[in-house]
Amino acid sequence: MFKYIKIAWRNLWRNTRRTLITSASVFFGVFFAIFMTSLQKGSFENMIGNMARFYSGYIQIQESEFKESPGVNHSFEMSAKLREAIDNNPNITSSTNRVETFALASNKEKSFPAFILGINPEQEDEKSGLSKHIVGGEYFKSGSKDLLVGKILAENLNLKVGDSLILLGQGFHGVTAVGIYKVAGLLDFPLPDLSKQIVYMDLLNCQEFASLQNRITSNVIIVDKTDVINNVIASLQPLRGDDIKIYSWQDLMPELLNLIEGKEASSAMIKSLLFMIIGFGILATIMMLMHERKRELGVMIAIGFQKSKLLLMMLTESAFIGIIGVLSSLVVSYPLMYYLYKNPIIVIGEMAETYKSMGFEPKISFSISPQIFYNPAITVLIIFMLISLYQIYYIAKLKVVDSLKG
Amino acid sequence: MNNVIEIKGLTKIYNSSEIKVKAVDGIDINFKEGEFTAVVGPSGSGKTTFLNMLGGLDRPTEGEVIIGGVDVWKLSSRKLIDFRMNNIGFVFQSYNLIPVLTAGENVEFIMQLQGRPKKEREVRTKELLEAVGIGDRIKSRPSKLSGGQQQRVAVARALASKPEFILADEPTANLDSAATVGLLELMSQMNKKFNTTFIFATHDQRVMDKARRIVTIEDGKILKDEYFERE
Repeated sequence: MFKYIKIAWRNLWRNTRRTLITSASVFFGVFFAIFMTSLQKGSFENMIGNMARFYSGYIQIQESEFKESPGVNHSFEMSAKLREAIDNNPNITSSTNRVETFALASNKEKSFPAFILGINPEQEDEKSGLSKHIVGGEYFKSGSKDLLVGKILAENLNLKVGDSLILLGQGFHGVTAVGIYKVAGLLDFPLPDLSKQIVYMDLLNCQEFASLQNRITSNVIIVDKTDVINNVIASLQPLRGDDIKIYSWQDLMPELLNLIEGKEASSAMIKSLLFMIIGFGILATIMMLMHERKRELGVMIAIGFQKSKLLLMMLTESAFIGIIGVLSSLVVSYPLMYYLYKNPIIVIGEMAETYKSMGFEPKISFSISPQIFYNPAITVLIIFMLISLYQIYYIAKLKVVDSLKG
Repeated sequence: MNNVIEIKGLTKIYNSSEIKVKAVDGIDINFKEGEFTAVVGPSGSGKTTFLNMLGGLDRPTEGEVIIGGVDVWKLSSRKLIDFRMNNIGFVFQSYNLIPVLTAGENVEFIMQLQGRPKKEREVRTKELLEAVGIGDRIKSRPSKLSGGQQQRVAVARALASKPEFILADEPTANLDSAATVGLLELMSQMNKKFNTTFIFATHDQRVMDKARRIVTIEDGKILKDEYFERE
């Protein structure tokens, strides 16, 4: 076996320039694929992370009909077993209860519809950095009877910090929900729709407003890594009652999932095209070197080299070209991607404003998920396997006498 | 002396699109152990085709090639390759050494294929390269050797597997006079020293002058089969 490897390795350097050019094409192809996928996946992870932290969580527990028909009538009480399982799951970094309802917000003669969110102020701030969005007044604490109001809603209602806001809505089982609350702070969000209708209340205050007692409309869970989501859901499923459902972010934000899948599909097409071009380049090199060595291959068979061993030697040689390209690409790309993962590119200027207006942090993130690195390597392996079919065919059809004629 | 090779009714017909060409036409001939034979004839007479069929490289249309009692063309492709490795040595016009292997490795390679022990391979490689007069170039790649030196390595390689006979197709065609004389002297010595049968296809008068048997082929048939006494 060693002698075939030795001959294959030496053959590789008979035409150093050609070997380096072919390996370089593999290098650049794999590097480009890794860079592109890392950037795209990093951006998606950033996007999902923003959305998950700010709103949906990676996992959400709801009453079974709440998703189709949101409202306090589809609230639920979290069982002790489920609570304990969430608290003890090592992959869950935080979980917080919420109440979501709607009300009419009024100040003097003005009224606007409002989306009321009952939250645990400390947990929510830790999870999403909510207090960073305060543009007037101050953030509230647990047990507070005050409100945080979206800036545009406050402007529409002519509200200032310290003013009172009347909320009128429907509580649990049709009970009238009404209350007058002081505005503790104003919040500004990149998404204007949110600033136009959001009102935050302390969870207990909101439960009292909607006559929910201990009931909540959702429990929002944040996990440490996105790839554990399914496992965490599977571990919680047996503990939920029939009236409760557990959703992943994909269930809760299908539009975002569609957007990601669409972009991934177009990127897969670009990568396929890239690897196709590389594949034809490699095929041309392999065809050339097989043809160039036709006489030599014939001589080897004439003196007693079995075709199967000759094929093994030729495959080893072409595998070396791929291995050199892939390994050098991994050696260069991993440290670079790791650096960019740890130090995302901060976007400034108008582009930063665009990011913010879409509700995302103004940064270009990169991912270092293992599949980003091994997928291109597997693709190159498949390309070489396909090309090896040509080598198998060539050697199987090789006639010694014809090849000795050159 | 025993017959090393027995050839019966050997025929090769090439079918082109419209005409059939009979390159070798029903040749019957035997070669004995230790013979030093030149197969001669004009270009296109069929001598290379004859040698290729004899060496198990080109399948005859009809006839038998029996080497050491084995009808080689009845062997499977795989067994035929092994048969060639163990029984036939080849010396080609263009040397055809493996360019990425040194002179020593080229000679040793065929013994590696035969699965001989490393120590034996090393000793025999050294012996053979010394016997062909280039023991000092054992670590040189073919590109660093002259044509004559490369052909000497090719002879050593052909002898390495301890074959029944060596087929040499125009071995001196690419060599200058001095190298030709040296190579012929060397092969003659090898023939005497190891009693190995040599069969040449050649145009070269110097080869014919060394041969103890000259078989003349024309139009695919044996025209003359003559024996000579040589020093």
